[in-house]
Amino acid sequence: MDLKEKELIADLKSDRNREKAFQQLVKTYQERLYWHIRKIVMNHDDADDILQNVYIKVWNNVDGFREDSSLFTWLFRIATNESLSHLQKQRRHSVVSMNEMGEFLAESLESDAYFDGNDMERKLQMAIIQLPDKQRIVFNMKYFDEMKYEEMSQILKTSVGALKASFHFAVKKIEEFIKEDLK
Amino acid sequence: MKDKDKNSENLFGEFKKGHPFRVPEGYFETFADRLKVRIMEEEYSTRRRSLFTYLKPAFAVAATLAMIMLLVNIPYTKFAPLEKEYITQQRDNNDATDSTGTIQSNLISYFSDDQLISAMADMDDLESKTISTENLADYIAANYNDYEIIANN
Repeated sequence: MDLKEKELIADLKSDRNREKAFQQLVKTYQERLYWHIRKIVMNHDDADDILQNVYIKVWNNVDGFREDSSLFTWLFRIATNESLSHLQKQRRHSVVSMNEMGEFLAESLESDAYFDGNDMERKLQMAIIQLPDKQRIVFNMKYFDEMKYEEMSQILKTSVGALKASFHFAVKKIEEFIKEDLK
Repeated sequence: MKDKDKNSENLFGEFKKGHPFRVPEGYFETFADRLKVRIMEEEYSTRRRSLFTYLKPAFAVAATLAMIMLLVNIPYTKFAPLEKEYITQQRDNNDATDSTGTIQSNLISYFSDDQLISAMADMDDLESKTISTENLADYIAANYNDYEIIANN
């Protein structure tokens, strides 16, 4: 954790500078967090809602932040958990089973006005959607965000070995899906 | 594992590395302001909720008391009409007493102050006069004969 981040955390915990520091925190991480959430839930409206919830949680709980990880790690952990609980809620409310979740997300992607990929990109997204939640998150973080396994390990609280295995299985499944689709 | 990662990148090489999603125009520029409004709303509703939570026991006690009053009052008025009649009668009597008092005050106002003062002086005079045993004996001797005295004893 560098000095600048330490100062930011101190300001977030102080009554005087809290609001200004929070604005800075929002500006710094909003885009990265948004795209991380969006790739999990697919739909823009859901991603917007979740991103707001993430920052509200940070605003309400920043005093309890123990500083044993970086702000970035803490924020990404909250965003990942919020996105996963959003998907779980959707499963409960629409009685969508684990196997049907892929179809549900695919429909969500198709109906999203803010998706404008070409055929190949759509195919890749459809393949990613078929993965279990955790594998999908690992694949996105590694493939699109090019995040280091050590960093991912801190955010997802999973060992590096398990993450590597998850990514490996995700790639295999996507390959199979695309080969099947090309036949 | 490193080789496998490289292979996967080769496999996906035909895909443009980057996601095909986009956001509404000006989304990130306005996000902070929308978030600020949402936080203010959340804090307002939390304050309202906490005030309600604070007053909740008082509401509960008031509601319980109202319920008890209702449960006692309905059977009392419905199944005890005699008690009610008694209360009405008592109330009428009290009203009558009140009207007697009104008559007395009207009567007093009828007399002048001088007349009232002299009447009160006479009453004081009457109180000072006590009836002694001798006076009583003289009164009996003057008004009754011997036969009447013996017959009454």
